[in-house]
Amino acid sequence: MAESETAPKFAPFFGMGGIAFAMIFGCAGAAYGTAKAGIGIAGVGTFRPDLIMKSLIPVVMAGIIAVYSLVIAVLIASAITPDKKYSLFNGFLHLAAGLSVGLTGLAAGYTIGIVGDTGVRAYMQQSRIFVGMVLILIFGEVLGLYGLIVGLILNTSTGEV
Amino acid sequence: MTSRRIVSNEKTLLEKDDNNDRTPTASEKSNITPAVPAAVIMKLLGFTAAMVGGPIGMYFLTLNTVFRGNSTWAGATAAFTANLVLIAYVIVAMKEDQSDQLAAGESAKKNR
Repeated sequence: MAESETAPKFAPFFGMGGIAFAMIFGCAGAAYGTAKAGIGIAGVGTFRPDLIMKSLIPVVMAGIIAVYSLVIAVLIASAITPDKKYSLFNGFLHLAAGLSVGLTGLAAGYTIGIVGDTGVRAYMQQSRIFVGMVLILIFGEVLGLYGLIVGLILNTSTGEV
Repeated sequence: MTSRRIVSNEKTLLEKDDNNDRTPTASEKSNITPAVPAAVIMKLLGFTAAMVGGPIGMYFLTLNTVFRGNSTWAGATAAFTANLVLIAYVIVAMKEDQSDQLAAGESAKKNR
């Protein structure tokens, strides 16, 4: 990795930071969503075991948040190679992509966790709330998807030095 | 529920010892099928596998074949695949509950 004005030695640090932030924050959000929704499902399952299958939807959605982080991390990681020039601009770009996916994933996971927990408990008593719960969950999920879209668009403008 | 079942099993064993094997409880087969049917477990395992392998598999599958190294579209495909798994899960979960109700209705008819 040759050093130059636009591609200093420390440029990959920011790209690697983007990978790490995407995975760490995104998986933190997915973990919170899975755990909080799982508490609700465990509470519902003891009273209405027949509702468990439908109540697992928030857990699947929290899993998708982790997939978004994984996709952007793999995407950034494939762009950083030790034998090519890596500009500081690309480093900041990858940092922005990773942070946008990671932090929106954290927000989406937090939403899915709280809505999932309260939603499945309400669904236990009133079955009509199911459609509303799924809709709210989708709106929470879309927050993470927006982060991924921004990350992918940012990733398209990486250029050669 | 399970603890209750064990208690009732012990009672039948005691009855077996006291009476001979012709008691109605002894001739009846006890219900030893697991609480969650195997089909449901296979479905859940299938969705787990689809969630773990599907999106990232689609990314690497389409990266160099369909999109010729354009990783943006491959990433978008991976995200789309994850959402397809979610939609499939929602549909299966809805059908699962309906099939439970249908099965319950059929068994009620048979018992008549």
